[in-house]
Amino acid sequence: MTCEEIESRMAEYWSKSLDKERESAIEAHLATCETCRAEEQRLGSLWRDLARLPAPEPGPGVRARFYETLEAYRDGAAAEMKHPSSGWRKTAWVWQMAAGVALALTGVAAGYSFHASQAANAEVAQLRGEVGNMRQLVALSLLQQQSASERLRGVSWTYRVEPSDTEVLAALLTAVNHDPNVNVRLAAVDALRPFAATRTTRDAVIQLLQGQTAPIVQVALIDLLVDLKETEAAQELRKVASDSSTDVGVRQRAQWALERLQ
Amino acid sequence: MKAVTVSTTDNALMAQVSAGELPKLAVLFERHHRALFRYFVSLNRDRELSEDLVQDVFFRMLRYRASYDPAKAFTAWMYGIARRASLDRARDRRAEVIGIEAITERRGEPASTAPGPEERAAKMQNLGLLERALSLLPADKREILALSRFQEMKYEDIAAVLECEVGAVKVRVYRAVRALEQIYFALEKEKAS
Repeated sequence: MTCEEIESRMAEYWSKSLDKERESAIEAHLATCETCRAEEQRLGSLWRDLARLPAPEPGPGVRARFYETLEAYRDGAAAEMKHPSSGWRKTAWVWQMAAGVALALTGVAAGYSFHASQAANAEVAQLRGEVGNMRQLVALSLLQQQSASERLRGVSWTYRVEPSDTEVLAALLTAVNHDPNVNVRLAAVDALRPFAATRTTRDAVIQLLQGQTAPIVQVALIDLLVDLKETEAAQELRKVASDSSTDVGVRQRAQWALERLQ
Repeated sequence: MKAVTVSTTDNALMAQVSAGELPKLAVLFERHHRALFRYFVSLNRDRELSEDLVQDVFFRMLRYRASYDPAKAFTAWMYGIARRASLDRARDRRAEVIGIEAITERRGEPASTAPGPEERAAKMQNLGLLERALSLLPADKREILALSRFQEMKYEDIAAVLECEVGAVKVRVYRAVRALEQIYFALEKEKAS
């Protein structure tokens, strides 16, 4: 074994993942090469010390937030069971994940408008006086919270309101357009599904495609439109597919959607 | 009487989550959230951000559960998601970077003794100094050390996460340790002067 080969084998030697033969070859080299032996001693010592560094512990809130998110997601999944989607959905998810991977590198984060948030806050304050619907109030107020995990809870609460609730629908549409957290935007796209029985909602979803700049959310919206078999979306999808300023993964997805909707 | 056991493999559990048994994700959370948190802290040195990122990872695991392939290592899939979540968050925060001074001030000065050749081995025990050296290492090197040393992932799985060849991972681990050693001794020398 040469000094150069040591460089490519040393990590495995330290982590004891080499077979006996290779391990012996390294030890034989170290026994005869003083330079490599000295380096191995210094670096090996550091490698062992790395395992002794204390691991930072997350705060207790992390666990609570996880179980809350899981609970919320179960509620959402249960609601979706009542509105089963078409059989190719699974493939859509697979593609979406693959697209997410590609898009994550090229995506553009959506902007966040404080003015929109303030206006929405005023609307919610007004709503409190007018509407007695507890679930609606919970969903709407959670959607206005500072913390992204609270807003995710708000999205999950929307599954518990009547799909005819236009205030909640408006809040979800605002979340898709303006929420600074991409996970909230994605969850809000999913939560639009139960509302999508009406023509107004479907048109609104088509409109969302125009305003959205985050590729991962654009793909989720395109998938929703295909899932809804929304043929009216063809014109907008064609625009997306031919817009050279749009992410290439999104354009391909729009083209795919057009073929599905024909 | 049949014994009740929960010792199912990660891959099997995630396959069950993927098939709709969402509560099984709780077992995976309990197994992996601390390691994930450590991975994120290694990357960004920010506890609060790292806690948010842990949430992001498990949310995405739910959202993209159907994309999970049980034939592939669960940890590689999970850290792939973790890596993208971190990149997305960095973009959302307009790639906010914490200055090195801020990190070192927060961590405080490690205990020190006068250096000498015979004391070199003892100095290596100085974990505070080692931690500081680690925080000064470039992010890509910190990441590969976090995956290989703290998470003890297989080199094949690290290659899948980082989307590179296995051979390249092994060399990069070695070079990261060498870079760490250079910073470590530079810090030691600085303290002596």
